[in-house]
Amino acid sequence: MTDSLLVATDLVKTYGPVKAVRGVTFHCNPGEVLALVGENGAGKSTVAKMLAGAVAPTSGTITVDGEPLASGSVRQSRLSGVRCAFQELALVPDWTVAENLSLPDGAPLKGFSQKKAVAAASALLESLHLSRIDPRAAVSTLSLADRQLVEIARALAGRPKLLILDEASSALTPPGVEWLFARIRELTAEGGSVIYVSHRLGEIAQIADRGTVLRDGLVAGEFVRGDWTDDELISLMAGRAAERFFPDPPERTTDAVALSVTDLRSEGLRGIDLELGAGEILGIGGLQGHGQAELLRALFGAAPAVADSWTVAGRSISRTNPVRSVRLGLGYVPEDRKREGLALEMSVGENLLAPWFKAYQLGGRPRLAQERGWIDGILKALSVRTRGPNELAGSLSGGNQQKLVFGRWMDRSRRVVLLHDPTRGIDVRAKQELYRAIVDLAKEGVGILWFSTEVEELVHVCHRVVVLYQGAVADELIGDRLTADAVVGAAVGATGSLNLTTEGVAS
Amino acid sequence: MSVTAPPAPPVAPKPAAAASGPRFWNSTGVVRLRREGAIAPIAAFVVFFVVYVIINPELLTRFQLQTASNLVVPLALVALGQLIVVLVGGIDISIGAIMSLCNVVFATQLEHLPVPVAILLSVGVGLACGLFNGVLVAYAGLPAIAVTLASAFIFGSIAREVLDRPGGGVTKEIYLATSGELVPFVPVSLVWLAVIAVLLWLLLQRTALGRHIYGVGSNMESVRAAGINARLTKLLAFGLAGVVTSFGAMMLASSTVTGDPRSGDPYLLSSIAAVALAGAAFTGGKGSIIGTILAACTLGLIGNLLFFAGVNSYWQYVISALIIVAVVGIPVVWRRVAFFAKGARS
Repeated sequence: MTDSLLVATDLVKTYGPVKAVRGVTFHCNPGEVLALVGENGAGKSTVAKMLAGAVAPTSGTITVDGEPLASGSVRQSRLSGVRCAFQELALVPDWTVAENLSLPDGAPLKGFSQKKAVAAASALLESLHLSRIDPRAAVSTLSLADRQLVEIARALAGRPKLLILDEASSALTPPGVEWLFARIRELTAEGGSVIYVSHRLGEIAQIADRGTVLRDGLVAGEFVRGDWTDDELISLMAGRAAERFFPDPPERTTDAVALSVTDLRSEGLRGIDLELGAGEILGIGGLQGHGQAELLRALFGAAPAVADSWTVAGRSISRTNPVRSVRLGLGYVPEDRKREGLALEMSVGENLLAPWFKAYQLGGRPRLAQERGWIDGILKALSVRTRGPNELAGSLSGGNQQKLVFGRWMDRSRRVVLLHDPTRGIDVRAKQELYRAIVDLAKEGVGILWFSTEVEELVHVCHRVVVLYQGAVADELIGDRLTADAVVGAAVGATGSLNLTTEGVAS
Repeated sequence: MSVTAPPAPPVAPKPAAAASGPRFWNSTGVVRLRREGAIAPIAAFVVFFVVYVIINPELLTRFQLQTASNLVVPLALVALGQLIVVLVGGIDISIGAIMSLCNVVFATQLEHLPVPVAILLSVGVGLACGLFNGVLVAYAGLPAIAVTLASAFIFGSIAREVLDRPGGGVTKEIYLATSGELVPFVPVSLVWLAVIAVLLWLLLQRTALGRHIYGVGSNMESVRAAGINARLTKLLAFGLAGVVTSFGAMMLASSTVTGDPRSGDPYLLSSIAAVALAGAAFTGGKGSIIGTILAACTLGLIGNLLFFAGVNSYWQYVISALIIVAVVGIPVVWRRVAFFAKGARS
């Protein structure tokens, strides 16, 4: 173990009475990719943050190259060659890409030249094969996937000895993940090490040399390349026997149409025709930034949109807004659960009830008591791990927060539920619970429109998948044609032949 | 190199400019102004200035230029101080009191100390006031609005303690050096404003600290996670705002040739109004220097314009309010109208 690049011994981190990490020991050798896996709340992110210097461990030691790591300072960690790409993006939205790439280095009063920063950023992006990202663009104008690429590029910029990727692939598309793996291999070939924190078992199988499984803040087990199966790993992470990964979509019992639009136009949408049946799970595929987010927002009325004809549950409408949509029987799980989905400072119960509050109705505890039956039912059905409806939503883990955003639409006679990548960045068990809930909703006759960045989900759980490319429908996949390759192919704009530069896409 | 993301939505309702020169419109500097929300206040100032000159061509005489700039420059400087605090996501309610305090310190110390020492003392007091606010906001984690409201009372009381009625030792020479004319048609006060604005621009745009100030306001957590000392940045921003405010206080004392412990009071709301008109985001991270200066000029001259137009001066607040709402609101309305017009056409 003396020649290990990184040795972490007995790491403990407590937040008040909560023990996030209760004693984790592992090491990472030079030129190795070490996977850190575990469910949400298992302590992966906390460990990653301690390595990156963002939080100081309560006790325990970290050494890099035999030197103890200055804890609690991101800057010191950076200087000693440890860099981290965080799951919660650490880019400043109002800075340009160039500023984000160059500003963390250097003293505050050092001169800063936009020109030099842009030149340095172009050179860096060029060397990482990301030259399509404009270094002058403000980060807030980039798509989530591009932002994540920039974040990874920033971590790679210093040729780090140790690179920590904390769920860094969660917003990446399959080509983006390929790109990331190529960069990881370059880095390890030069002797650098990578700690890869991810939920995606397929990626771990591909890239990780070794892995450490965390559960409840402790090391639950270790594995080496090729020596494990998905099921084993899942049961190790969950601490119980694994179940089958994806449920099948339910048998459809009716031909009723829940939602239909023709020629829907909005910012970023170039005329979309869509028909969603009652009880149907319709997947939306495609690379990020090709109109999926805009489609869901437009259908819910969160962004202005017009269409030639537009019906929801048989009622014809000309346009809508969120309040009207809820009344019409729509539900929406937005992209960013923290910003758009939840009021983090309010309780679990109040967050579940959020769409159902009217200004003249009771609120607070009396209302929670009134709705107790429904709330408890939802919390139980989704197995939300919470101390009860009065706990603050902000104190739940990511997966459980996502369940709240989803749960508020259950048992509320919805006709259509729009899902924006509900399983992004949540653990395997929470995912399975969400899949089951989605299938159950469909069984009740609710039409589900489900945008996912995970192709496997679309292929296994959906009846039908529509792939968007540049704001228009590129392909519709059903039956035998519904394969992972077909979804990815259509997403990069290659219907039929695999040609990345194809402009004229059949719609 | 083409951008995959759609270009930032235009902030200003100026299709003519977009049509006349997309290259100009998309050049780096203009993009930055657009992003910082400065196009609308600049356009508003140009319109306002033209109207002003039409109603009162006398503005372009030496005397009126000088009085108008003496009126506007203190407000512009205080507004810049307010802008810096707003950029880090705060707000400074004590800025009027800091101004009063610096003003009386400057005026009283001139009575028995050499001028440079009085200036340094005044700047030092401004810096100290700013740092006092900054420590409480950045390191104690208290909300800026509460801290600065409390310190406004403290600084205001100290100002009255230093000098309880208008007075002090501001001399004719000082008046001429700050508020006279450099050469005919060039008021000195505008030159000082330009010098301070350029230095401040260099600091905000061309040093890492300046970019950190924008970053802290934009997203404090990200800046921290990137390994930048966000608290220190916030503290320095408050200190810098105090210094800039003290410049405004000295310009005011010099142009009125008195120190007055209440002189800063009206500047509190005007400075916030100017920052709002400049298109800055009160959540932080967005706002431009040139926009703020021109917004301050617009707001500062409305009273004069109404006087020359023969309108009761009580209306100046209503007009100011209308200008702010119009300039902030038109781009929002424009975007919505443009969308439905575009949607209907395609």
